[in-house]
Amino acid sequence: MLKKNFCIVLNLLLATIIFSPAANATVVKQEPWNPIAASYLRSLFYLNLKPVDWDRVAEEYRIFEVNGYKENSEYNIFTKLKDFTGEDHGLIIRKAIRGKNSEEFYNSSTRAISQLIRYHLQEALVSLGTPSISHREVSEAKQLYRAFEDFIEQLDPVAYKKIGIAWLDLVTGIGSEGIFGIARKEPDMERFSSSRRVIEQYLINNYEVKRTDFGDDFTPLPLKAVEEKSKIELKPWLPPGSDLTNQDPLPRLVLNIESRGIDEKELFLVAYGDMLFDSPEIFGEPARSLGITCSTCHNRSDINQRFFIPGISAKPGTVDVDGHFFNPRFNDHRNDPLDIPSLRGLRFTAPYGRDGRFASLRDFVRNVIVNEFRGDEPTPFMLDALFTYMLEFDWLPSPFLNPDGTLNDRTSKSARRGEELFNSEFKAMGGRACSTCHVLSSNFMDGLRHDIGSGNPSSPGARDSFFDTPTLINVKYTAPYFHDGSHETLYDVVVWFDESFNLGLSKKQKRDLTTYLETVGTGERPFEIFDEENTLFLLDWGELSTFLSTLNSLLPMQDKTHTKILLRTVSRDLKVDAIGLKDLSQSTMVYELSQKLDEILDAVESDDWKRSRELWLEYQSLEKEYGSKFK
Amino acid sequence: MEVNLNSEADKLKKIRFLHFILVNVSVVLFFAVIGVRSVENSSSNKPLVLAFIPQENPEKLIGDIAIITKYLEKELGFPVKGYVTQDHAAAVEALRHGEADVSFMGGLPYVLAHDQIGAEVILSEIYRGSRTYRGRIFVRKDSEIREVGDLKGKSIAFADPISESGYIYPLEIFVNEGFLKRNEDPQSFFSTVYFAGGYQQAIQAVANGLVDAAGVSQFADSLLTPKQLHEIRWIAESNPIPSHLICVRKGLEAERTIAFKKAMLKLNGHEYRYLLKHVYSPDGYVEAKHEDYKSIEDIARLYGFIK
Repeated sequence: MLKKNFCIVLNLLLATIIFSPAANATVVKQEPWNPIAASYLRSLFYLNLKPVDWDRVAEEYRIFEVNGYKENSEYNIFTKLKDFTGEDHGLIIRKAIRGKNSEEFYNSSTRAISQLIRYHLQEALVSLGTPSISHREVSEAKQLYRAFEDFIEQLDPVAYKKIGIAWLDLVTGIGSEGIFGIARKEPDMERFSSSRRVIEQYLINNYEVKRTDFGDDFTPLPLKAVEEKSKIELKPWLPPGSDLTNQDPLPRLVLNIESRGIDEKELFLVAYGDMLFDSPEIFGEPARSLGITCSTCHNRSDINQRFFIPGISAKPGTVDVDGHFFNPRFNDHRNDPLDIPSLRGLRFTAPYGRDGRFASLRDFVRNVIVNEFRGDEPTPFMLDALFTYMLEFDWLPSPFLNPDGTLNDRTSKSARRGEELFNSEFKAMGGRACSTCHVLSSNFMDGLRHDIGSGNPSSPGARDSFFDTPTLINVKYTAPYFHDGSHETLYDVVVWFDESFNLGLSKKQKRDLTTYLETVGTGERPFEIFDEENTLFLLDWGELSTFLSTLNSLLPMQDKTHTKILLRTVSRDLKVDAIGLKDLSQSTMVYELSQKLDEILDAVESDDWKRSRELWLEYQSLEKEYGSKFK
Repeated sequence: MEVNLNSEADKLKKIRFLHFILVNVSVVLFFAVIGVRSVENSSSNKPLVLAFIPQENPEKLIGDIAIITKYLEKELGFPVKGYVTQDHAAAVEALRHGEADVSFMGGLPYVLAHDQIGAEVILSEIYRGSRTYRGRIFVRKDSEIREVGDLKGKSIAFADPISESGYIYPLEIFVNEGFLKRNEDPQSFFSTVYFAGGYQQAIQAVANGLVDAAGVSQFADSLLTPKQLHEIRWIAESNPIPSHLICVRKGLEAERTIAFKKAMLKLNGHEYRYLLKHVYSPDGYVEAKHEDYKSIEDIARLYGFIK
């Protein structure tokens, strides 16, 4: 029975039958995690990636074993557990890591987390006369339980509720010290003990039993509950530490059409492409359920310096898009996260990809959708819309550059000295200057690929480490630098060139060159400024209205495929964006609008185009009424 | 406390010394200046200690504290330390024992701290444009509960027994509607009463269908995920509650209090507004006095918390 079920888990994961998707373009920030629970889940997440990076697992285990809570760094959880249960998890886990034994690692670390929860519950019981201590112990237990909670909720909802109530009873049963004894609530031993039993029994039955058949999945599932099911449906999950939220400050989007005073709503292809850029609907699983869109990495056409997924990113702002997680079939088995590039000025920056492997933006976009993020083959219309929109991405205006790329007279002396150096030919660089590749008059690019020694060749003499010359326009805002994001600052980049090519630059020259790069890379109003008039919700609201304007063309055309993508995207986005309202009581209006979109979708699904047009008129009427009220 | 006493003793010694100089030596001004500087130096080396209440996630607060104390040190020119207390009671105890000089606090713990140990409010939060907020009764959208009377025999989660918006004010809604007598065990009306440990835990308990209702701050819904937010609504709200505040312990040097207040009020300005998100995200601060919290004091008296 057990074997059969875990095969189902594996098969379903491979077939990406994932229920209750919570797709959204606005991703909600995770609450901070208890470090032990976080390390545990990250370790299991790494086991699910192929090939398994055991160094990462070992690193998490080191944190897991030694640190415990940050404010309690001497605390060794395994010692405590050994006293509590007599089991030496530390020994088994070390052995599992050395032997690269995923199953043993899973079983022992899962059992250890479960026992640690029970340990804290026992400590809470012992301290029941001192509510502040009991509350602290229960709080730690609850934070650890969070490692299992989401999976219990999905796979065993009845138990999830029962245990949820038990936690409430437990906390209430502790009572309260009040303040100076005022409003003191005495502990309720019976209430505490009975709820503790509920939690403990579930943990023992589900997380302290040995799991033997994993398939390829090491998600901490409630084992007994899973045994009783004929079908396992599980949402994809990201480990603690993941950050898909937008960069703060948010980059400012500059669309050429808008700079020329043209309303995006007048441009059907651009508006629809804008929607697709913000839609998880174009991707497959797991990206779709996780709410990942083009704009998740490319906030407002630029980058997202926060984007981070442990095991998939080397550092914030980088991602390995051809690994196991997003599309096992496209897994290149290289652990090579790349720096997320800015898409500003995209129509001038061909070829595409860090090594310039795509001459055509259309091919590049298709590869991202189908191969990197496992989406269905996009329709020609979708590709047209996406790249028509993306071709509108402009750089921020450069306040310090003449049209030919030289510095204007508003620049500092240091920047001008840097400019001279930038244009100087260095013998150590084969008589070339920085500007040989970063051609001033061509937006600081040459459209070619070079091997400057920044790559990692597969063998000595291999000619496989060539990278596209990147622009330097707006470079001030796109750290980290290089194809792999290995350099944090522009000064680091200058130092790297100086040392790699033995340029012999003085400290002052390095500073001047850095100042020059920062000056070239400066853009006007680089970030979105939020205030009373421009709140995050209003920015999103404006975008969604633009997306929806395409219904005026799609409904008369009875274009079912593209109407469905649009409505699904905007309806979900509206619900999620409601959380950004300054006045959350207005969320009911937002939900009403979202509901109306769902009704249009239902009409479209049943090919009732007349009804869909009527509902669209109703929506527009509501939009007009509510739109001016939103804050 | 010991440190403060020593500091006071040092000051006294120095004042006596200055007095001796004034009487006996002719170069009065010179020595007086030296003496005053010496007092300032000894005081300035002592850190100002801030107590933060773990409203929701203490680990997030730790990062916030590092940012805000760095700002304050720069503004004040003397060391500033901050730490997260276990709860309101611990913050009040810390003020009592001089382990904290300043505390971020809710109105009810403050009036108790004022009553018992002479803590003084110096600043009130402006939150969502107001100096007051309300407690609300939240239920699930799909429940049949339409008004508070429908909650008879149902379960409810509050945040904490010593919370104004997370217990007392929501409870007052039932008192004012005649479903409960003041100081009566709420268990006589509800089937089960929980104290979930915080706003977030209480309101999530409703959203997740664990309880029928939650009595919490009107802003607790901002602690829900978008999906959860979509699943709840509120059916009643309390009288206005004076907003959360910052208070200082009795005996904190006036110049420190003034300097701290000035630095915090500076956060209202455009340049430093971004730091507000690290101190519970108010819109800003306004100066406050104890009278501003009289309405909470009145309720606390009705519940027998103070005389």
